[in-house]
Amino acid sequence: MEALLTAPASDYSSQMVSLERPALTDEADWIARAQRSDSKAFEYLYRMHIDRVYGLCLRMTGNVSEAEDCAQDAFIQAWSKLDRFRGDSAFGTWLHRIAVNAVLGRIRKSKREQDRIQIAFEQSSSPVSATDHGEMRDLSEAVDRLPEGARHVFVLHAVYGYSHEETGNMLDIAAGTSKAQLHRARRLLAQQLKEQGFEE
Amino acid sequence: MNETDDKLAMAARGLATEIAPERDLWPGIEAAINAPKRSRWTPILAQAAAVVLLVGASSMVTYVVVKYDDANTPPQTVVQVAPSNLVFEQAAFGPDHTLDSLYGRAGGNVESDLDRELQNLSPEAREDINRNLAVMRQAIDEISAALEKEPNNVFLQELLVEAYGNELAMMNRVGNMTQRVMARKDI
Repeated sequence: MEALLTAPASDYSSQMVSLERPALTDEADWIARAQRSDSKAFEYLYRMHIDRVYGLCLRMTGNVSEAEDCAQDAFIQAWSKLDRFRGDSAFGTWLHRIAVNAVLGRIRKSKREQDRIQIAFEQSSSPVSATDHGEMRDLSEAVDRLPEGARHVFVLHAVYGYSHEETGNMLDIAAGTSKAQLHRARRLLAQQLKEQGFEE
Repeated sequence: MNETDDKLAMAARGLATEIAPERDLWPGIEAAINAPKRSRWTPILAQAAAVVLLVGASSMVTYVVVKYDDANTPPQTVVQVAPSNLVFEQAAFGPDHTLDSLYGRAGGNVESDLDRELQNLSPEAREDINRNLAVMRQAIDEISAALEKEPNNVFLQELLVEAYGNELAMMNRVGNMTQRVMARKDI
């Protein structure tokens, strides 16, 4: 650093450029590299998107270890399907869709395990709520207590902002069903929050 | 949408959408994507396929040996054959299934023909046949053992039927050798 300060401006400016990240900053370039089996590029994409993918998995499962497994599954599946990504949607949306499938797949695969997890979860505080504060924490815990179908729709539509059509596509249900589940989720949430003294 | 719904919708938008996992998940992902791709063949299927190949190959060898012996070997002196390793065993498809009685009857008939014909073969040919029969029976035992673990595995059941069929066919071929020789018009 001292060398930079004492060096002539023309010298250190050229050195500063070399300290920056390589010129490859566009996500599309990283995707293209990953599609050519560059695992380092894929790691970069993972670092960019993991928080959002993990957040979705955690909100949908309500369980840390399940969410970790789902997020890992999602990225592993994304790697194997990368050649099918054509850029029709944002890469993050494409990853989200894979993550939703990973969550639903795990739920279908081991329903009994899910029940066990649900019981364990009900006996402990919400892992998701740790990331939220105050009223948000109450809401987060209430969302976690929603029935599975209503919770999935609420998380995708109300929290992540997907339309009912997109939510329906991801969950393999009709848009009308998504609307009905959202209505049910709102009703249950209002009821829960009212019981907890959540301010109207 | 009433006031509560509005408030809920706004609150939902305020929930965190990005949550960092408590541990770095990349090492597990990296290990999975860099692992050599596994064959879709499961070990049990691979073993079963190997058994089929083994049975097929041994049948072919026996056929060639018997045919060669049939055409070139003059009648040999009668030799007492130890029948202990050629006892026709009770076959079964694991604990839940049994073979049709037709197979048992056919096996019984073929066994006596086989013993008789083996006595007419050269010691080398007899040894080849016994060895191949032993291989087939070992294959049958292995498939039966696998079936005991997976009694409803249709693939294994089919393999076992095929293995029994091969065994029976070979015994039958050897057992009818004299008849075939007698039926030939070129000698």
